[in-house]
Amino acid sequence: MTTAPPLLTPAFLRQLDRLALLTRRAMAGELQGERRSPRRGASVEFADYRPYTPGDDIRQIDWNLYARMERIFLKLFVAEEELNVHLLLDTSASMDWGEPNKFQYAQQVAAAFGYIALTNLDRVGVTSCTSDGSAAPLTGVRGRRGAVALFSFLQNLSASGSGNLANVCRRYSNTVRTPGPLLLCSDLFDAGWRDALNALAARTFDVTVMHILAPQELKPNLEGDFRLIDLEGGPTVEISADPDLLRRYTQTLHSWQTEIENFCHGRSMNYIQVDTALPIEEFVLGRMRSQNVLK
Amino acid sequence: MSFLSPLALIGAAIVGPIIVAMYLLKLRREERPVASTFLWRQMVRDVEANAPWQKLRRNLLLLLQLLLMLLLILALARPFFATQGISGSNLIIILDRSASMAAVDEPPNRLAAAQQRAMQLVEQLPDGGRATIIAAGGTMEVPASATADRRELRRAIQGIQISNGGNSDLSQALNLASALAAREADSEIAIISDGNVTFPDDLRVPARVSYFPVGRASENLAISAIALLPGLGEQTLFVQVSNYGEQIANRRIDLFLDGASFTAYNLEVNPGSEANLNLSVPTHVEVVEARLAGSDALPSDDRAFAVSAVGSETTVRLVTNGNRFLQTGLELLSGLEVLQVTATTTTFTQTVAEVPVTILDGVVPNPLPPGNLFFIGPLASTTYFSVTGEIEFPSVRPVGGNEQLLRNVSLSEVSVLKAARMVPGGWARTLVDSDGTPLLVAGEREGRRIVVLAFNIHNSDLPLQYAFPLLLANLMEYLAPGIGGEASQLIPGQAFALQVDEQISEVRITRPDGQVVSSRTGAIQIQANQAIYADTETLGVYTVEGFSADERVSRQLFAVNLFAPEQSRILPQRDLRIPQVSGAQSTLSRERDGRQEFWRWLALAALLVLLVEWLVYQRSGLSYLRERWRQGKAA
Repeated sequence: MTTAPPLLTPAFLRQLDRLALLTRRAMAGELQGERRSPRRGASVEFADYRPYTPGDDIRQIDWNLYARMERIFLKLFVAEEELNVHLLLDTSASMDWGEPNKFQYAQQVAAAFGYIALTNLDRVGVTSCTSDGSAAPLTGVRGRRGAVALFSFLQNLSASGSGNLANVCRRYSNTVRTPGPLLLCSDLFDAGWRDALNALAARTFDVTVMHILAPQELKPNLEGDFRLIDLEGGPTVEISADPDLLRRYTQTLHSWQTEIENFCHGRSMNYIQVDTALPIEEFVLGRMRSQNVLK
Repeated sequence: MSFLSPLALIGAAIVGPIIVAMYLLKLRREERPVASTFLWRQMVRDVEANAPWQKLRRNLLLLLQLLLMLLLILALARPFFATQGISGSNLIIILDRSASMAAVDEPPNRLAAAQQRAMQLVEQLPDGGRATIIAAGGTMEVPASATADRRELRRAIQGIQISNGGNSDLSQALNLASALAAREADSEIAIISDGNVTFPDDLRVPARVSYFPVGRASENLAISAIALLPGLGEQTLFVQVSNYGEQIANRRIDLFLDGASFTAYNLEVNPGSEANLNLSVPTHVEVVEARLAGSDALPSDDRAFAVSAVGSETTVRLVTNGNRFLQTGLELLSGLEVLQVTATTTTFTQTVAEVPVTILDGVVPNPLPPGNLFFIGPLASTTYFSVTGEIEFPSVRPVGGNEQLLRNVSLSEVSVLKAARMVPGGWARTLVDSDGTPLLVAGEREGRRIVVLAFNIHNSDLPLQYAFPLLLANLMEYLAPGIGGEASQLIPGQAFALQVDEQISEVRITRPDGQVVSSRTGAIQIQANQAIYADTETLGVYTVEGFSADERVSRQLFAVNLFAPEQSRILPQRDLRIPQVSGAQSTLSRERDGRQEFWRWLALAALLVLLVEWLVYQRSGLSYLRERWRQGKAA
């Protein structure tokens, strides 16, 4: 694996250092971190008072208030906890296609996203979506040191087989202990994409759908008679490509994208269309910030 | 339809399967892996709905290619239709353009049909074959000579126009064609005509002669004569209508005086006979037009014009010691005014325009008077002939042939007592001969017409014969053209001659089509006191005006009519009997030995199919272009 080029260049990583994940709401984590949590805990940020009940930690009693009011109150602070960042990578064979390659792009996006999370002391878990689910997920790396493990895990992933996105998402949604920001990198070339997204929406994930498509898919450069072979073993399609057919393809593609977008918005998910022709740096530093995924 | 090289058809058996096989190979679509056919599958129902059409569209290319191959193979096999035609490689086409070819029984007319046939023959020329086009009828022309350039041949054929003048004499054309054919072995002469032609009997054409008859109809009614004769206080109009067809013809004839309708008659003319009209018209009428109403196969002889001779008397100077016969004979001729002077007169002051003709009866003044001369019994030599003595009891032998000056004249009964032994110059043609000594000669010399009668008419019984007034009339008509009603009529192509003198500086002629030609531009030639205009192909009335320093001093009309029975007889001949070296007489090509090849058309069709095939193949590119264009227009 040492021979493979690094997922992200050092210069880009330095730029990523300045970024942080945006979450729409406070989320609970397991360990103390740097994120506001819905729980009360120890931080410098005041949250609330509450009357003392026996058994409370007397260190939290606000003695100044007791002096004034002669009643014992506990001073509560906002807990700052880590975030559990979930990275879901579609590793079905359809992702390993396109120029630039969709899967590589997904790896890079995931790496960048994970790296940002790690620099912010968040916990990052990576799961590849393949139907068998045999590939062991990377669970809970934390801290900047975890970046090495994250990168090598991502690099070791390979896209193959036919994914069943819905099953994977459902299982993932059921088994995950702590919901958090979830990044789904997929081309959604799956009949069950609705089920998959629904499954994710069932938990309180903060889902961002990265809809990764290669430029050859957005604008097929076909002319002539072709027999289109599905990389995932789906049925082959015979076409006679002409501008009319290509126009209809584009129409179909757009309506599909619009449908996904509406679907996502209805479930307060972020939907980001990704064209792999866009350089990864530009995408992460530009698109993702403008879409309020990063700041 | 047969093939020149049918072996080429085997090519279809070889190339056809190759194309189909290659097409079957090509039919395997290019396999193209895509990430997923997920989206394409959504469109699959469209594709399936279009499937039969798609298949057809795919096969369209195959069909087009097969069609292209078939056309090319067919063209290679050089198919042809056997037609009546020619087989030689040196083709000489004699195209009749006489007036009868203007008949409209073959739409649009016979000439056009003949031209079309000539084009066909040129098309049938084998590769490398050459053709010569000879336009016969009137003046012979050779618009294209031994050329293989089909375009030039086509142009030459199309350039041929009807020639109203002249007869349908093919002898000149046939002689030329024979000479041309003798030079090359594989020659063939094609005569395209309606067959109403004459040709020499003694000719033996050294090539095959094919005759291509043109025309169907035989019915034709024609105005065969028209004359306007001056009389006392009125003019007499004479019109003759002849039926050259084979059925009784009923036609109305309309008469117009100076362009205004005058009267009309219904005529019924039996086949082969004619109907005559005699009627009086006022003296002031200048032009009479007769027109047969309706139409028939040959329209050009359905109109005729006559111009009045009133007021245009010609003065004839008669220098004589007294000749009652001559005086009486001249007085009988209309349009002549006789100015008698005594034989002793030696100076003649009048100009040629005033007195164009002088009759010298037994006298030879010195110098001779100007204008045309008629010597009768000359006693002395002149510059034109010499008199070397006398012969007694000469035998009178008119020369044979179609001599205009002797028409209707029978001189065989004439006895002559004595005549001058005359030796004429080379200008003269002998009309009446007597043992090597001419008795009557006529000819032109130094711009004047001269007739010499070698005996004094008192020394013969000629004046007592019917022949005398007729001969006198013929001779005077020759000497003084423009006298009488007939003289103001010309046949098409005949030159018009007008006596002019020095005071006339310009002669203008207004043609029937309204065009005005002038001697200043050289269209009319003035030579030796004669204005000559030869372009009289167009039928109708010509107005001749003489100008002296922009002032009109003379005006004369003449009419050009198509009075040619051999042209009006339009029945096409089925065969021409022309002796050929091969011994054949008939020129009707019975055997179908012409080959009408049409591989060019097949090649052209193949080219079109190729174009269509390319368009079909490039249809996506085309629709792409159309898309771009539409977008460009929208933007």
